[in-house]
Amino acid sequence: MKLIASCKINKTGVYLNSQLISRNDLSESNWITELYYDSNKEYPKFHKMDNLAKLAFLGFLFLEKKININNYKDDEISLIFSNASSSKTNDLKYINTYTNKGNPSPSLFVYTLPNILTGELAILNKWYGENIFFIQQKFDPKFYIEQIKFYFSKGAKAILAGWVESNDKNEECFLFFIEKKEGKLTIEKLNKLYQNE
Amino acid sequence: MNIFITYGGLISPLGNNVNDNFKNMLEGKSGISVTKNTGFNNEDLPLGKINNIKGENRFDKLLSKLCDKLVLDFNKSIFKDKKTLFIVSSTKGNLDDLPNDTFSSTRRILKEKLNVKNEIIIISNACISGVIAVNTAADYIKYNKYNNVVVIGIDALSNFITYGFQSLFALSNEASKPFDKERKGISIGEAAGCLILSKKELNNIFSVIYVGGSSSNDANHISGPSRTGEGLYRSINKTFNRANINEKEIDFISAHGTGTIYNDEMESIAFNRLKISNIPMHSLKGYFGHTLGAAGVIELITCIKMMEKQTLLKSLGFEEQGTSMKLNITKKNYKSRLSKILKTASGFGGGNASLILKLKE
Repeated sequence: MKLIASCKINKTGVYLNSQLISRNDLSESNWITELYYDSNKEYPKFHKMDNLAKLAFLGFLFLEKKININNYKDDEISLIFSNASSSKTNDLKYINTYTNKGNPSPSLFVYTLPNILTGELAILNKWYGENIFFIQQKFDPKFYIEQIKFYFSKGAKAILAGWVESNDKNEECFLFFIEKKEGKLTIEKLNKLYQNE
Repeated sequence: MNIFITYGGLISPLGNNVNDNFKNMLEGKSGISVTKNTGFNNEDLPLGKINNIKGENRFDKLLSKLCDKLVLDFNKSIFKDKKTLFIVSSTKGNLDDLPNDTFSSTRRILKEKLNVKNEIIIISNACISGVIAVNTAADYIKYNKYNNVVVIGIDALSNFITYGFQSLFALSNEASKPFDKERKGISIGEAAGCLILSKKELNNIFSVIYVGGSSSNDANHISGPSRTGEGLYRSINKTFNRANINEKEIDFISAHGTGTIYNDEMESIAFNRLKISNIPMHSLKGYFGHTLGAAGVIELITCIKMMEKQTLLKSLGFEEQGTSMKLNITKKNYKSRLSKILKTASGFGGGNASLILKLKE
């Protein structure tokens, strides 16, 4: 398995293959929305997404520059994602609509599942491949490598994997794209990319 | 190499074990009943509620109860074995723990009650969680990582979920009637079930063989089913290929059938495109309601029980064809040879999944 590219987004900035490519303007109240405007991409659906889906969408926009997704048929890329806090940030917002604001919000309710972000990536790219979302205590490179092996042996030609987290202390997105080619993906390598080293 | 799969336990409004649940289902009983003042505006709603679980932390109480049953019914050594993996399928975990993590209690309870040593894998992928949890379990066995994988499917009732589906106008005002002309939507339910996949057959328990499975996204809408059934169509095709089985060999389909207009219509289109709409099929949502992360698991438990008894269960609540494409929905229970069953699921996020079980030769 060959790692083609990775993208990490957190409060400090955007890192493509560990290289800082843009620093976030933290004086802006919402750095995630600022990143969207900076991208010059027109995608009105962005505004209705929760932060998990927004981060995954933005991560993909950056990663896309370094990979060639047109090499693949619409069902050859599998999506393997995980995080620790599920959809907690949005769950709390949704709860607030029926405890304090009068009525439960249907537009927030539909984002109270972490796998919605894989649905958004599938819609964006018209991808019909396999998807799975795990809840893990922390980013676990060994686990991803194992899952990637499973999906390659089941027929995937490439994997878009990711860790997308949103809680009151931390918002981050780490995406990496793996092709079924000669190459060695190690735990150390994935850890370094995740840490932007 | 064969991958064996058997049922481990099932707690639902219809009983505290697999046999009681199945007996009640054979008698045509539904676990859905009207519960007072449960809606956002204090409406009385039909729900699949387990009445002897009370107070806060329903999820934890339900999971603990399932674990206690497992300890009684199985040799405990299987659970703490280093070669046994646990996979939990749930959409929400314990919502009462918010703003803390809603899945911490799952890990804690399994460690305390069952002495689980390995890291617990949690799959949260909306309503297809259960089916893909079983597919994942099979991967771990197939690639020789573990000898046994215990798959637990669980979700508990909550205002969070009930109010949410109410806000989408997706709830039925009577027990849900999947595929029926008069269907009006979902009845939410709660349940916990357990399946065990293994390399070797477990002693003294009926088991069948897991043949293959897959998932596929609709790439269409995050909360609305595809109008062409594309994701479901593709997943089932992929599963047929992986299992090396063709549609003519399938004896029965355990469909998703939530009872909403759009979902059931989508399934009828996908089954028609696949030319499998004449195969007898049912949805179990009329018995349990829609139990979200538990659904795939408890429906597979029922499939295995049906194969054991070589008996088809009717699709409770179904009377008259209600989809644009004709389906062969079972209207009564009957004895029939069940050697291969196709299980399907579809859910929010555009997810679709399927798998095939077969009888041992």
